Amino acid sequence: MPLLDVRNLTKDFGGLRANDAISFALDKDELLGVIGPNGAGKTTLFNCIAGLHPVTAGQIIFDGEDITRLPAYEVARRGLARTFQVYVASGDLCVLENVMVGAFMRTRERAQARRRAEDILERLNLRELAGAMLSELPVAAQKRVTMATALGTSPKMLLLDEVAAGLNPGEIEEVLAIIRSVHRDMGITVMLIEHVMELVMNISDRVIVLDYGRKIADGHPRQIADDPKVIKAYLGERYVREHSGEVT
Amino acid sequence: MDILFSSLAAGILFGMALSLVALGLTIIFGVMDIINFAHGEFLMIGMYTGLLTAKAAGIDPLLTLPVAAAVGFLLGIACYLGFIKFLLRGPMIAQLLGTFGLMLFLRNLALLIFGPNDRAVHQGLLVGKSFDIGLGIIIPATKLAAAGLALAAFAAVWLLMNRTRTGKALTATALNPQGARYMGIPTERMNALAWGIGCASVTVAGALIVNFWSVNPYIGLLFTMLAFAIVALGGFGSVPGAFFAGIVVGLITELPGFWDFMTYTFEFDWMLDVPMISFKYMWVYVAYFVIMVVRPRGLFGWKH
Amino acid sequence: MEALKNAFDFSDFPRSDLIIAILVGAAFLIFPLFPHSAFAIATMIQFFIFSLYGMGWNTIGGYGGQVDLGKAQYVGIGAYTTAVMLIRWDIPFWFSMPVGVLFSVSWSFIIGYPLFRLKGHYFAIATIATSLVLKDLFEVWDFVGAARGLEISPIKYAPPDFLRLIFREDVYYYYVIFAFFLLGILYMNWFRKSRLGFQLRAIKDNESVAQSLGINVHWAKIKTYAIATAFVSVVGSFHACYIKNIEPEDTMSLNLSILIALMAMLGGAGSLWGPIIGAGVLIPLKSYLKEWLGASAGLVGIDLIIYAAIIMVISAAEPRGIWGLVEKIRRRRSR
Repeated sequence: MPLLDVRNLTKDFGGLRANDAISFALDKDELLGVIGPNGAGKTTLFNCIAGLHPVTAGQIIFDGEDITRLPAYEVARRGLARTFQVYVASGDLCVLENVMVGAFMRTRERAQARRRAEDILERLNLRELAGAMLSELPVAAQKRVTMATALGTSPKMLLLDEVAAGLNPGEIEEVLAIIRSVHRDMGITVMLIEHVMELVMNISDRVIVLDYGRKIADGHPRQIADDPKVIKAYLGERYVREHSGEVT
Repeated sequence: MDILFSSLAAGILFGMALSLVALGLTIIFGVMDIINFAHGEFLMIGMYTGLLTAKAAGIDPLLTLPVAAAVGFLLGIACYLGFIKFLLRGPMIAQLLGTFGLMLFLRNLALLIFGPNDRAVHQGLLVGKSFDIGLGIIIPATKLAAAGLALAAFAAVWLLMNRTRTGKALTATALNPQGARYMGIPTERMNALAWGIGCASVTVAGALIVNFWSVNPYIGLLFTMLAFAIVALGGFGSVPGAFFAGIVVGLITELPGFWDFMTYTFEFDWMLDVPMISFKYMWVYVAYFVIMVVRPRGLFGWKH
Repeated sequence: MEALKNAFDFSDFPRSDLIIAILVGAAFLIFPLFPHSAFAIATMIQFFIFSLYGMGWNTIGGYGGQVDLGKAQYVGIGAYTTAVMLIRWDIPFWFSMPVGVLFSVSWSFIIGYPLFRLKGHYFAIATIATSLVLKDLFEVWDFVGAARGLEISPIKYAPPDFLRLIFREDVYYYYVIFAFFLLGILYMNWFRKSRLGFQLRAIKDNESVAQSLGINVHWAKIKTYAIATAFVSVVGSFHACYIKNIEPEDTMSLNLSILIALMAMLGGAGSLWGPIIGAGVLIPLKSYLKEWLGASAGLVGIDLIIYAAIIMVISAAEPRGIWGLVEKIRRRRSR
């Protein structure tokens, strides 16, 4: 049974159809990448799955349970966590405390929450920065903190929203290693939105491609890279026509 | 039957004056999202202005409106440039407490200058006269004039907001400050203007109301709360909303009258025991609460 | 057990702060033993009272970021419960005070549920509205003495009465409220490190993120509101026994609600010491301004004008309050 089963997910914002009958399934040990041009509806998809937007139609089944109508905090409690592009729990809290917020979801005791948070910081190479404030950190570290915050809730599945944006190649390598560690060593299923192709193609078991709210491709990274529909979505129909001979 | 119609008439007339009071608040909130606790204090200033100008110049109080408008306009702009502008930078709690401080300041300044006693209009063309429009309704001429002038003032402001370039610029700033800035609309100036017009509306309302309501330094708060309720009911930022909601609230304050009517009509003795008069304004607050929970946008609101 | 340890654990404050706190605390402890005017000790008691009001408010208003301007209604519920129970059925403070808290908290849940669906300005005004409604009701309710209020005549009891909290000298009241004050600080110290405290800070920053971290935002706000209410109600009950003369205009007015919020904001909302500093500045200021300027012939209201001006300046210049200023300076120094 897949861990996450999305069936015909549709989300309308007034007259705009952001997600159009998207379906896919994700097994526990898979790492799924979500790519697509800007405005394709990727973040909306995440928001719907995570319970931040009410869906217009469709179903979301997580770990055997229908979570379609659940509010965001209930979804989180069932083990589905997500990162946000810019935000952590609070800019007033230091790094350790931010992760503790998530940890408090599973326990009432401060000491336990703290231990869990320290654990996660260790795994993500953030131990030295435990007492730092977010505004003082470089972008790469901030991205790691957003991941750590979500991991604080001890999730079964993690949705990563563009955690490699704005990083240089060395930092991207680091993020890659962390995601791999989270996936393999911590046993957490991962689904990520990315624009940085090296990351997505390198790390994903499978990739789905969104364009104008619809899923246009679903398969192994190498298949996706060669898929003419995907190329067209990114580069435009005109380019494809003009270069039709060069596409291999 | 008389009571019912009298109450209805009184409620509507009072409501129209209240609409004008609330108009200023809704304009200011619409344009820059700040709740002005000192709103009622400007009303009080308008009332004193009307009273004193009439006495000093020996003219009928109703003719003092332009003076009141000018005073309100200048005072509003001064408040914005000297104080409110800085408040806008801070968190909401600072804004709330800041305007509350302004309220205390103006109230006690008035206390210092005018003393705590009630003052009322005693002379004037319409004072003491009333119209009997049949159905047992007797309307004091001052109230009728006040309502009529309020309507006129309302229409003037509405025209200003919707038919002039400045008015449209104000609306644009209200809807989207950033966008307005990109279009070359000077937001700072719009903010100051909003305060000017907003305060002018309420001082004019004050000059009207003083014709049938005596003034003392403390009456501001009641009208501030009534104005809040009206603006919430009508929808924050909506000019027509303020008008209709004002009348509704005016009618609510006449509930004791309706209650009396029901008491006589239905003759339930227990109804006599309910001290409705004391609850005159309480129902306004209850209405506010209910509206906010049931329909936060208010009747016409577009701003959330 | 761990909770108690956390309450006493002030280790995340710099040493200098703690030393100052201990010294000030010691000064408070021995203050009544030195010669003092009745005015001074009354002011000190007011200081403790308002510190506690401010601390309570700070939970929902400071840490939670929800500006609540209707706390006075709970002062009233606490005060009236104690007063009525004492006058009619001779029930001592230590029993009537928890009952007052029960009533207050129940009311807070009833209005809290719809109240917290509102945000920002709308919420603030709604809190004012509910407080005014309750005050209006009390003003016509004969059972609680309507607008005249209630009076506890000390002659009927034999002071010093520790059960009913009726004393002839202020010293006793001083130490009782000081004890509450210390308890309040310990509770707040625990609160800011507790699960709910952390949840609130996340909520204050960004509610969507908080939701995604498993926090039931609506419920967290309601719980915190109840805590703030309990604080205020306890002190309200004390107030009844101390002032012995309560009426709606005094005990449940909008002015009081705003004053409470003001204490916390001035001192620094969202910090442990903030409300205490705020009360420490505003209460003596208000009292002494009134003493020196209020009674002067013809200059009625000047004390309030100055007081209002101070509020305006602080709101415009440093909304993070005195403690916020302190922290800002410290951060600059450490660069």
